[in-house]
Amino acid sequence: MVNQTDPVTHWALMMLVCVLIGTCLLVAVAIFRRRQQIRYSGYLRSLESNYRPILATLLSGRYTAHGINTLRELPLADLELLFDPLFSAGGVGQKPVAVLQALCAELGLIRLWQHRLTTGEEPKTRRGSPRGTSLHPPASSLLHLLLRAKSIRNLGILRHQPSWPLLVRALDDPHPDIQSVALRSLATIRAPGSFPALVGRVHAVVLGKSASPSPRALKAALACFDLTCSAALLSSLRHPHRRIRILATDILRVMVCRDAALESDFLLRPEVCSPGIAEILLTNLCRDPSAEVRGRAAEIIAFLADPRATSVLYKLLFDPQWYVRLRAVRALANLRHSTPYLLLGIRDCLRDSHWRVREAAMQTLIALGRRGRQQLYEYFLTSQDQATREQIVEVIERSGLMASLVEGYGEGAGGVEALMVEQFASEAAPLGLSGVLRMSNPHVRQQFLERFLPVAHFKMQLQEETSLEASAGTGLQQVLEFPSVLAA
Amino acid sequence: MSSLRLFLENSITFFNLLILSYFFLGNGIYTILMLLSLRATWIHTRRLAYQGLDALRGSPLTPPVTILIPAWNEQDVIVNSVRSALQTDYPGLRVIVVDDGSTDLTMDRLVESFHLLEMDGAYRPSIPTAPIRAFYINPEFPNLLVISKVRGGKPDALNAGINLCRSPYFCNLDADCLLERDALLRLMDPIVNSAAETVVSGGIVRILNGCETRNGRVTKVGLPPRALERFQVVEYLRSFLFGRTGWHLLGGTLIVSGAFAVFHRATVMEAGGFCHDTVTEDMDLIVQLHHWAADNNRKIRISFTSDPVCWTECPSHLTMLARQRRRWQLGLCQTLWKHSEILFGRKYGIVGWLSFPFHSYVEGLGAVAEFLGYLLVPLGILLGLVPPSFLVVFVLLGLIYGSFLSVGAVLLEELTYRRYPRFRDLLTLLVFAVFENAGYRQLILYYRFQGVLKFLAGSRRWEKVAHAGANA
Repeated sequence: MVNQTDPVTHWALMMLVCVLIGTCLLVAVAIFRRRQQIRYSGYLRSLESNYRPILATLLSGRYTAHGINTLRELPLADLELLFDPLFSAGGVGQKPVAVLQALCAELGLIRLWQHRLTTGEEPKTRRGSPRGTSLHPPASSLLHLLLRAKSIRNLGILRHQPSWPLLVRALDDPHPDIQSVALRSLATIRAPGSFPALVGRVHAVVLGKSASPSPRALKAALACFDLTCSAALLSSLRHPHRRIRILATDILRVMVCRDAALESDFLLRPEVCSPGIAEILLTNLCRDPSAEVRGRAAEIIAFLADPRATSVLYKLLFDPQWYVRLRAVRALANLRHSTPYLLLGIRDCLRDSHWRVREAAMQTLIALGRRGRQQLYEYFLTSQDQATREQIVEVIERSGLMASLVEGYGEGAGGVEALMVEQFASEAAPLGLSGVLRMSNPHVRQQFLERFLPVAHFKMQLQEETSLEASAGTGLQQVLEFPSVLAA
Repeated sequence: MSSLRLFLENSITFFNLLILSYFFLGNGIYTILMLLSLRATWIHTRRLAYQGLDALRGSPLTPPVTILIPAWNEQDVIVNSVRSALQTDYPGLRVIVVDDGSTDLTMDRLVESFHLLEMDGAYRPSIPTAPIRAFYINPEFPNLLVISKVRGGKPDALNAGINLCRSPYFCNLDADCLLERDALLRLMDPIVNSAAETVVSGGIVRILNGCETRNGRVTKVGLPPRALERFQVVEYLRSFLFGRTGWHLLGGTLIVSGAFAVFHRATVMEAGGFCHDTVTEDMDLIVQLHHWAADNNRKIRISFTSDPVCWTECPSHLTMLARQRRRWQLGLCQTLWKHSEILFGRKYGIVGWLSFPFHSYVEGLGAVAEFLGYLLVPLGILLGLVPPSFLVVFVLLGLIYGSFLSVGAVLLEELTYRRYPRFRDLLTLLVFAVFENAGYRQLILYYRFQGVLKFLAGSRRWEKVAHAGANA
């Protein structure tokens, strides 16, 4: 069929044969790999069924010499396989870390992992041979990289403090994967000695002296450390490079928020935050040329016990940059800041030119309890600014405050709360109000209607007499239609 | 008469050369992509052991993400999709469902299932969209917002979602898709841990047909029963595991699945949001981002990773498959035409010199070349221009090369994720990979050719693909 003299056909035929062989080869490899995987899974299962009960006993804290000796007889590679599920995502809880660490040390695993990091090689002993079973492939450079990365991960999960210098050295590894895992392990171990080294790495990355790890990963790692380490951030907070100051302020912000949240009054204890840090925040960073630094500083200042903090925060509420005002007003969402002075400042933010600042001010006033809500309601009832009024309605509905207002109204609450409900019903929020009424229990609904219907009828009469504009009438009509259905 | 014959001969010879170049360029580049992906995906799956998702989940610095679900007449699948999105394991997650003027029970099902309340909301559009009709919330699901708007199409619904989104990143998710629990964490990992400015991160879309689901989660993975669906399983493996991975490794990503991808909100807004003038808004946005970055001298990274999984339902009937493929081809042609200045543009780098020309020639024009090839090559034999032996060998070569690539994709799956656990599944996939090119490929080619014709006719109609309800 094929013309032997036609070179193109001949060439295409050769190619066809090659591709056909290639396809058959791929099929064979896929089947072979699946078979290999089935064998490997079987081997893992047998390893687990034989040794997992012993491991479970040891991890429960019941130390038996027989158990340890049985595990010691296993090649290190098999031991690693046996322990690996414990180190995988979610495999190890908070409690058995100390026991697991002791067990790994006893069985020589920690030494093996440290050895991999120090020398970059596999141990040569029989126990240390990576070929624990015939199923393991030889340790190629790629596989060795994976083994090193897993070793670093394991040391981190075990919070093995003595290993931190090795992990800091691993940050200089040419492979970015090793750097990332080392960084995460250092963040888990949180050894104070490693903090300055990581700060130095931030400087190097920002100044372009090092390409990895990413600034975001470095920031996340540093933020895990204890606040007592923050003194090492001073040089970064004073650094002329804007990005370094931003990163340092952000790291400090996360540390401060975490520590302050543990205190009953959300105030930072002076002994955990160095005086130098507080000083630089209140004098330099709140006036930093970068809005991002000022905004982040505002969030930290809100947790300082320093008497100057209030006036600094008040000034930041009126910063020229909306982003700073937003951060400052959000930072004040803590009962400690519900002083008349700051409340007025936050209320002024309801007039802010940026809608996100206005929204944050509303949320802050709601978070500040009764006094804050009073300010918000008063503003709503007196303001002529329709856009802000709509925004207040939206925030009240989203926060779930509408339900408590309706309940309070039914129970006879007066003052601005009652006026707010009547305003909502007549024009401002008919949809939200009817939705809340629909979902509330019949008793609350009945109480609400008993009080509201006479007011509504009176308003209707008044509208008819004075021939008010149609839009207000329509709103009221909608609300009135709904209760009649409910009453039925 | 002889001059007509000469003209025919020249045309057919020219066309045969075109087909040959298409064959070698297409298959050559696909082979390169496969070889690149084999190594990279294998390494990536090994890296998952120390990926550090726990650190990402626990860090207060992990950026919040909003999942945007545009929905139009999705009454059978919407509840499960929203449930799946709400169950996603991610800190600072918000879900916005945009009902794009559905005429079925989509809104009713949402209101009923999530006990939603209509609320008085304000809408401040940064990107212009069709008007919003209503906002729905339930304080018991504080991270869920549902909006109902006047119909404006999928891009319009996505733009409305972007306008309402507060987080720095958003993830668009098709209403017929189910997310794996940690999919979003995995998708955000390259964004958080990359030193470059990653503005888009795409994941893999797998086929839901044949899988068992419960409460918006895939509980058992299996192959679908019908041959048409099984061919699509192989096709998706080839497209995602080595097509997308390969282009990502070369830095020439032009397509990120609109069914499931994370975008940097501010960058998308700067680039103008999703456009209405093509029917594949996902590809259009990616190309638009390349365009925008080059024009503004910005270095951006578009990432693709194959471990974050989103499950979607594939068409199980020919009519729906035809609609889907016609739309994809039409959208491809529209996007390539719209951004044609990227072609060999100096400032676009690998995108302008490799990826865009490849997509234009092999994916766009290729549909015409291959389709006409099936008609013109036999004509060439009749006219004596092509030896019949050559035709036989060449057709066989084309079929077997296609099988080689498909089997390569199945092997890649086998070496890496091994999602189909039964040995029988592997054998079935291999059989379907081998025979995909004898019949199914030609069928898809026919639909693609129709897509090109629709493009030439100036059509902009979005052909809706109805779901059989695998996710219901």
